Amino acid sequence: MRLMSSPWFAVRNLALAALAATAAAATRPHYGGTLYVEIRQSFETPDPPTTGYGMPDLAQAFAITSWEAGRRAVYAAGENAPGGRPFLDTVEIEMARPLRDQSIDLELGKSDVVELGPGELRRQPAGRKVWASAPVRLVALVFAPRVEDARIREALALAVDRAAIHNVLLQRQGEVSAALLPQWLSGYAFLFPAAADAARARTLVAGLPAAVRAISLGVEDAAARPIAERIALNARDAGLAVSVVPQVAGADARLAEVRISSLDPALALAGMAVSLGLPEPPRAASPEALYAAERALLEGFRVIPLFHLPDAYGVNPRVKGRPGITPLGEWRFENLWVEGGRP
Amino acid sequence: MIAAVKRWHAVLCALPFFIPSGAHAADDVNGAAHDLARQTAVFAGPGQPVSVEYRNVSSLGPAELGQARGAFEAALKEAGLRVSDVAPVAELRLTLSENQSQYLLVEEARKGDERQVWMAAWKRAEPAAAALPGMALDRKLVWEQEEQILDVAFPAAGMLVLSPSKVALYTPRENGSWALGRAVPLAPGKPWPRDVRGRLRVTGASFQAFLPGVECGGAAEPSLSIECRAGDQPWVLESGSHATLLANFAATRNYFDGRVATGNGLRKTMAPFYSATSAAEQGRPLWLLAMLDGRTQIFDAWLETVGAIASWGSDIAGTEASCGGGSQVLATRPGNAGEPDAIQAFAIVNRAATPLTAPVEFAGPVTALWPMSATSALAVVRDPLTGRYAAYVITVVCGS
Repeated sequence: MRLMSSPWFAVRNLALAALAATAAAATRPHYGGTLYVEIRQSFETPDPPTTGYGMPDLAQAFAITSWEAGRRAVYAAGENAPGGRPFLDTVEIEMARPLRDQSIDLELGKSDVVELGPGELRRQPAGRKVWASAPVRLVALVFAPRVEDARIREALALAVDRAAIHNVLLQRQGEVSAALLPQWLSGYAFLFPAAADAARARTLVAGLPAAVRAISLGVEDAAARPIAERIALNARDAGLAVSVVPQVAGADARLAEVRISSLDPALALAGMAVSLGLPEPPRAASPEALYAAERALLEGFRVIPLFHLPDAYGVNPRVKGRPGITPLGEWRFENLWVEGGRP
Repeated sequence: MIAAVKRWHAVLCALPFFIPSGAHAADDVNGAAHDLARQTAVFAGPGQPVSVEYRNVSSLGPAELGQARGAFEAALKEAGLRVSDVAPVAELRLTLSENQSQYLLVEEARKGDERQVWMAAWKRAEPAAAALPGMALDRKLVWEQEEQILDVAFPAAGMLVLSPSKVALYTPRENGSWALGRAVPLAPGKPWPRDVRGRLRVTGASFQAFLPGVECGGAAEPSLSIECRAGDQPWVLESGSHATLLANFAATRNYFDGRVATGNGLRKTMAPFYSATSAAEQGRPLWLLAMLDGRTQIFDAWLETVGAIASWGSDIAGTEASCGGGSQVLATRPGNAGEPDAIQAFAIVNRAATPLTAPVEFAGPVTALWPMSATSALAVVRDPLTGRYAAYVITVVCGS
């Protein structure tokens, strides 16, 4: 709301209103205009991020022209960008915007591209343009080294009712999974059983002392806290005492999210292993070898995969061109244009 | 089915895994089924009964699953095994699956406490081309390649293909295919604009290549040669057999900047436009320009606005087939540039577009549409799945 009264925001709204009034329908890309983007993440760094996904992807074709840490970034088209100058003149990004506010801004035509969480996705009106990546974000439980008893880890893996969380909290977005690599990438994720088995979990931990059965689960992202709390409830049914804490440092386990970084399944698995603190798997040349490598990584239940989720964006109808994200969720705004943009 | 899945999951949790190393790359589903059956025979033992459960988690349909089932069971029999639910020595589950690049047959086999997983993969076929609809517009695929095709022309020596990085001359083989004769690279001083466009114009054995900010002249015989230089020479846009418009192309954009000259010497600066053609309405010549705002403006012979059409895409080309009123405008469909596209022939009647043919549908967007002859145009289509470009000759067919 702070930004609603700022001068740039007012100018932006005027520009959007003007562009909407001259809406066009050319099928060839046309040059000019500004793409307004909102994201939840806040980069409080002195300089724009250069690694990761999203904003760093823009650097291929755009140059940063304005950076207000944690608030706003403006990128301008690079005249000599590979593949030619982007059609857009500028991309303006507003950071730290809650998902709910983003959805409202999209609805009001104040923004062109906003992130959609599971709740917002459900509320999108019929016919709304949505960009979705493949399910590239793995949500997983990751145990700290000090949780040494494998029975505890396996019991928690068996206790989690992934299907219920997927249906209710995630609004069926993405996929339930017990594999590191998603089914679309490996083709064999279904071989990893994801069904809950509370009875077996109870059997595993039945003889263990209460102190061993107590686990702190760290969750830093407030949006993921409902998932952690549901996991704690499931764990209780299995005889485990899981307490959800807001810091991951010092917690017995954490709810982590890692991204697929390659369309090559072997490279993707290696990248995930590194991100999750697992040993790097041997390079696999066949689906069978890859399955063996993935299975070896998951033995011991140090990491418990739960879901694979896509990146999803709601898009203003005035935005034209191919989807502005790749299957991996990388931003590709250089091929977009906006109706009403003028040379 | 659910019960079966649960039972298998219980087994998966309980049993140790044996995963053999080595790739199984098959040619197709039959090859994959044979690969798996051979290993199953070794695992179960000769002449033994095995039970098989099937499921499909791929995008393939029941027919393909049935094919996999038939091939697998035939291969099992060939390998000396019997499929039977009565006292099977081994229980098998075969899953038809897929990933980005392959289809997979995944076999989970259980014999007592022993369990094996085998996988056999084969390459996913490229999607079949869209069916050819319509009778009055005929389309013929003439060339396909990874790199964007800007234009294709047919001098006597063969086929010229203009791409952002080169001009290539292909010569015809006896079997009707094309062999690369020679390719000459294009080296622009700076990167081409995004959505780069280009046009070939053949006159006898020589040709011109129009590109943004670059003008080229060359010859297809005796061997392909071309010389290019930075320049602002207007592009020659023909319509049918006689109407010609000279139009300057904006060097850093994907449109004509509006400076035009007609064949009768009239010069004018219009608003920028993407494409242009002439058409006749009851014998009166008209010019049609697809403007940047999505409308196609209709101009009279003096380039004064007389109307507008709002229902076309940004690419138009003119033909003069003897049917259909003697003048047709081929136009792409309005919509998003990434969507499946279509080309349809229209006549101009009372300053409005009247369809003459059914649309010719394409699986992807039309990225170029240039006039080719009195009765045909050259269309380039990008396949949204493979990213490849295909060039088609679109011909107005009379009397069909």
